[in-house]
Amino acid sequence: MKKLIGKGLIFLFVLTLILASLSNVFIYKIDHRGKLLEGLYNSSDPYDVVLMGSSHMNGGIDPNVLWKQHGITSFNYATGGQPIDVTYYLLKEVLKKHTPSVVVVDLYYIGMTTPYGETGFISNALDNMRFSKNKLEAIQNCTPQKEWLSFLLPVLKYHFRWSTLTPADFFYNSSSIYYLKGFSAGTQRYGKQDITKVTTDKKAEIPAKNLSYLYKFIKLSKENKFQLVFVNMPCDYTESNRSSGWVSDCEAMFNTVADLCQKNNVPFLDLCDRMDEIGLDFSQDMNNSGHLNVWGAYKTSSYFGNYLKQNYSLPDRRNDSALAARWNHDYSLTLWRLPLKTARQIQRHKSSTHCATRCVHFPLPAGMKKTNFTAQSKMP
Amino acid sequence: MSFISVQFLIFFPLAVFIYFILPKKQRWIWLLFASYFFYMNWNPRYGTLLAVSTAITYCSGLLIERAGCLPDPKRAAKWKKLWVAASFILNLGILGVFKYLNFFNEIYTDLVSLLGISVERMKFDLLLPIGISFYTFQALSYTVDVYRGDLKPERNFGKYALFVSFFPQLVAGPIEKSKDLLPQFSKAQSFDYDRAKRGLLLMLWGYFQKVVVADRLAQLVKTVYSSPGKYFGVEVAVANLFFAFQIYCDFAGYSNIAIGAAQVLGYSLTTNFSRPYFSQSIKEFWRRWHITLGAWFRDYLYIPLGGNRCSRVRHCLNLFLVFAVCGLWHGASFTFVFWGTLHGLYQIFGLLLKPARQRAAKALKIDPDSRPSRFLKALFTFLLVDFAWIFFRANTLSDAFTLIGNLFRPADLSNGALFSLGLKAPEFFAALAGIAIVLIVDAVSQKIDLRALLLKKNTAVRWTAYLSAALIILIFGIYGSQYTAQQFIYFQF
Repeated sequence: MKKLIGKGLIFLFVLTLILASLSNVFIYKIDHRGKLLEGLYNSSDPYDVVLMGSSHMNGGIDPNVLWKQHGITSFNYATGGQPIDVTYYLLKEVLKKHTPSVVVVDLYYIGMTTPYGETGFISNALDNMRFSKNKLEAIQNCTPQKEWLSFLLPVLKYHFRWSTLTPADFFYNSSSIYYLKGFSAGTQRYGKQDITKVTTDKKAEIPAKNLSYLYKFIKLSKENKFQLVFVNMPCDYTESNRSSGWVSDCEAMFNTVADLCQKNNVPFLDLCDRMDEIGLDFSQDMNNSGHLNVWGAYKTSSYFGNYLKQNYSLPDRRNDSALAARWNHDYSLTLWRLPLKTARQIQRHKSSTHCATRCVHFPLPAGMKKTNFTAQSKMP
Repeated sequence: MSFISVQFLIFFPLAVFIYFILPKKQRWIWLLFASYFFYMNWNPRYGTLLAVSTAITYCSGLLIERAGCLPDPKRAAKWKKLWVAASFILNLGILGVFKYLNFFNEIYTDLVSLLGISVERMKFDLLLPIGISFYTFQALSYTVDVYRGDLKPERNFGKYALFVSFFPQLVAGPIEKSKDLLPQFSKAQSFDYDRAKRGLLLMLWGYFQKVVVADRLAQLVKTVYSSPGKYFGVEVAVANLFFAFQIYCDFAGYSNIAIGAAQVLGYSLTTNFSRPYFSQSIKEFWRRWHITLGAWFRDYLYIPLGGNRCSRVRHCLNLFLVFAVCGLWHGASFTFVFWGTLHGLYQIFGLLLKPARQRAAKALKIDPDSRPSRFLKALFTFLLVDFAWIFFRANTLSDAFTLIGNLFRPADLSNGALFSLGLKAPEFFAALAGIAIVLIVDAVSQKIDLRALLLKKNTAVRWTAYLSAALIILIFGIYGSQYTAQQFIYFQF
């Protein structure tokens, strides 16, 4: 009996090791993976600001703009559909290697009322974290018990990809997208106005689990001595308010957030209320009802860069010639990704109001389902 | 809980570990507890029905024994028969209510409406307990075995309850005879390392059959059978061929997991499948397919009806009746009855044409035992079995006839139509490879004990084989969110 148990445990251990190493092959090689591998583990660049959150942040603030305009080094760790609990553990992972002065957390997902986010969205973040105690805690707290095993060994979740694997899955090199510093925005123009833009004094409760994570962020900021900034990115709440897994009045909930932040002395920038100040034209500067497009993101990044510069003593790293050379080069590369006209306009440090004529955007990997694994397929 | 679940992969090693660390005399108690836990994990209410069937058949055993002690042999025989009848009526009554009530009600209303009387069709929303057909038949075998004097009635209710509920074979067989399994619970089982290894290997093979082969084939089968009017010729033929192997690998896979699990615990269960698609005749097919069910019907229905020791007409009638009931056992639908009946007719025609076939073979100087002859017989038998599967799998008889009609119409195979039936090209070829592996293992295992052969190899070879098998199941298996693993087809019977 002892012999069987002993050999059985060795068998399971070896099998687990093999499955863990195969997981890296089977996980979708989308930008979320590339940027997290770079930002969490590969890059040794000093980040004075880290940007955390969901797709609203992913396509909302461009580290390259912060760099170009203010010499602020930052990285955008946000991924599509990232629930607030996942953001917390991802931030803890960031803090293992980086020591940012300012941590900016997008709070859009505190409106989620379901206990867990969608598996595909959570996978975007957790599957790209290395095995550690923090990852185990993240899996335990952010995913339903029945899915723990598939988060521990992602190959069990993606095994069906065996027939669509490409050489890129075996020899994936994430460094090619580092120049983006984690930012990615769409190039559509929404063409409609924000129909929920009504101010209210009403207050609505923050879902209990998310509220607890709000306090965890505050506690973490004190423990790790970084300055915390909560933000809410520009969006139209109509779809969120109607969604069954969401609070019914986002505006009222963010009033509660504002009160809570004031009480805890944490700045909260509700950029939804500052769209005029930023200079956003909702119909032209949004990719869809929930996400900024490249033009909107440029304006918002410029606005937010000014805010950071005015309120925090962040070093201008452009004086570091080696770093500046690389980051300036990265900045120039971002222009190639943008629609031609926008690139020219950004070069002139002007915001765009004209329609794009040419753009380069990353296609989805073959065989990937949009509904499950893309950042902008769903409302968040 | 299903064998294809993380829960079972945790439950089983724990159940085995606790079983062997307990004192030998108390182990059956743990197994009984584990078995009810396993079953009630699906739905706690299932446990009540299981306990009722257990209690009825347990009492029938004791009452038959008491009746046998009556001084008057005629009275004793009468009472014994009465208790057997009572056990059958009650158990089959429960089965009938929970499984067949809606079906019989449907037939009744249809018949009555033919007479011009309008009756409102009622729909009874009853919970169909998983595996009720299996454990009911197993429990009834006890009543008959005691009646026939093949077994002394079990006085220990707990041990008897374990016989009915033993978790490895509770929900989908093998259907064990009480005289074979019940005495095993009174023997002290010691842990045997080699036996456990053999059991685990059989379970691994069962998982391969189920998760890699059956559930992959099911993807294509489901597409075609869900829209029978849309597919023609090769498409229908491929779906039908795939279903033959889907149901085989599904059910044989389950049986192998069950037999392997019991073997780890030290119990010997009856082989349920023995290379059925290599059968030379339909008669032989039923000696190799679902062997324990075939044996049940033979011992408890076919022989009591007179078997083949009667007139030719009666013999044919017995065959027809037994297979019609066998079809009904598989499901409360005319498709299953038709499937069973078709197998009955195959057997009757086989019987009636036997002399003519023998004469023809003699006249043409064909050696029936030559390789080509054996191959052709196996192929013909497979085609008959495969044709009958259409009725088994189709949702309605009308769907089945649509598929048969479409089978003879050419399919438009341009633009890779064959790879758009639920299995893209690599998956399709993986499915074919799965069928080939199953057939090769079946062919080889006729002469070689593959498990013994593997266990004789050195550590490196053995461990490579174990790890490869586990990885193949985990990588190429159909499970998880991308595909919903097919429930074991036989649970519903």
